[in-house]
Amino acid sequence: MTNGQKQQLIRDRAAALLADGAVSCIVGWRQTRFAGKTAVCFVRAPEDATLLVWNEYTIPLTAKYLADERWTGGKAGILARGCDSKAINRLLRDNQLEREKLYIVGLPCEGKADERCRPCRQKTPLVYDELLWEEDSAADGGGTSAADADAPGRGRFFRADEVSALGIDARYDYWEDVYARCIRCYACRNACPVCSCRECYVDMHRAGFQSKRQNAADNRVFGVTRAFHVGDRCIECGECERVCPMGLPILGQTQKVIQTAEALAGAPYEAGLNAEDENFLGKFDLDDKDAFM
Amino acid sequence: MAVDFEPKILAFCCNWCTYTGADLAGQSRMKYPENVRVVRVPCSGRVNPQFILRAFRRGADGVLVCGCHPGDCHYATGNYFTRRRFMLMRELLEFNGVDPGRFHARWISGSEAAKFRDTVSEVTRTVKALGPNERFQEASGEES
Repeated sequence: MTNGQKQQLIRDRAAALLADGAVSCIVGWRQTRFAGKTAVCFVRAPEDATLLVWNEYTIPLTAKYLADERWTGGKAGILARGCDSKAINRLLRDNQLEREKLYIVGLPCEGKADERCRPCRQKTPLVYDELLWEEDSAADGGGTSAADADAPGRGRFFRADEVSALGIDARYDYWEDVYARCIRCYACRNACPVCSCRECYVDMHRAGFQSKRQNAADNRVFGVTRAFHVGDRCIECGECERVCPMGLPILGQTQKVIQTAEALAGAPYEAGLNAEDENFLGKFDLDDKDAFM
Repeated sequence: MAVDFEPKILAFCCNWCTYTGADLAGQSRMKYPENVRVVRVPCSGRVNPQFILRAFRRGADGVLVCGCHPGDCHYATGNYFTRRRFMLMRELLEFNGVDPGRFHARWISGSEAAKFRDTVSEVTRTVKALGPNERFQEASGEES
């Protein structure tokens, strides 16, 4: 099935769901003024369903918008790919969304025009009320093939591996370069589907948790704190990097947290696979690794 | 510089074990380096990883986090969370270019005054050898 056919399916289904009142809105993607850029939109009337698009640029996560909007207008329909479904799971786990108020339209995805989609292993959504089409296992629109996953710098933790390969001083310089360019716009925080606190410590300027100064050192404190705060819940969607106006490779920080969590637990670790699992730092094992004796 | 350098070391000590251990070290007239500044916390689980970053940012040369031995936590499970958190934080700091010798964590009970003395001496020695911490600092060295 081509993207055009899939897009038609989405539009038809969205119009039908809105027309019979099953949902009061559909969260999907629309074309922006810029070629190759789409944005998340809320469609509220059946005749507006023609706004919805599906192509290799429908990259942004839909789930976070629902949490941000605090949708109160009844059941919300949401278009969800694999990454969106992991985000929905995380938001459900964090009590940011209510499952009964969601109607999830699953869209198996073969990867988008984004290098961060390459290691994705979740083409079919994990949670959905209906699937609009079946995953096409033959299609390879950017997902990782088995051979690809072993290639250096192309695996699941490609960003973190790039930094880990450096010596300790070079690693410091790598991040110094990143955080010297950071403008602390907090776009990474706003786009992140697991960053869901309504009041964020970086905005509490009187509490002094985070200096408001604009320099590499304070940006670095923000960057590492953010990585630690969301790292063990990170669904590896890469939204933080995608929205960064300075194009900074910050995904490496959270990838490192996941990589370390796997190494410490001695088992595969992935957040957002269901809406029940406790995150890595929210639980413990009596026989956890211990270097502090 | 290296000869005269006296590091600033921040030690987060749990109220129920390590702080009592440090107190016992004092009462027992044990000698340990005065480079360490003790911050008493109700539990090692109280120590937010951001405290560590902030300490480095504000001029600490080394940071030590101490708590009860696993199984001995006054709040039953606090230090199990601490263990997981700082095993992870240690790796993340190293990933960010902080020398592993600048961050330490130890389990020290209320009766282990000698262990507190030895730990502080060892950490001081390690940090001293590493020299002043310039990481997480601005090049100009201004205060935040």
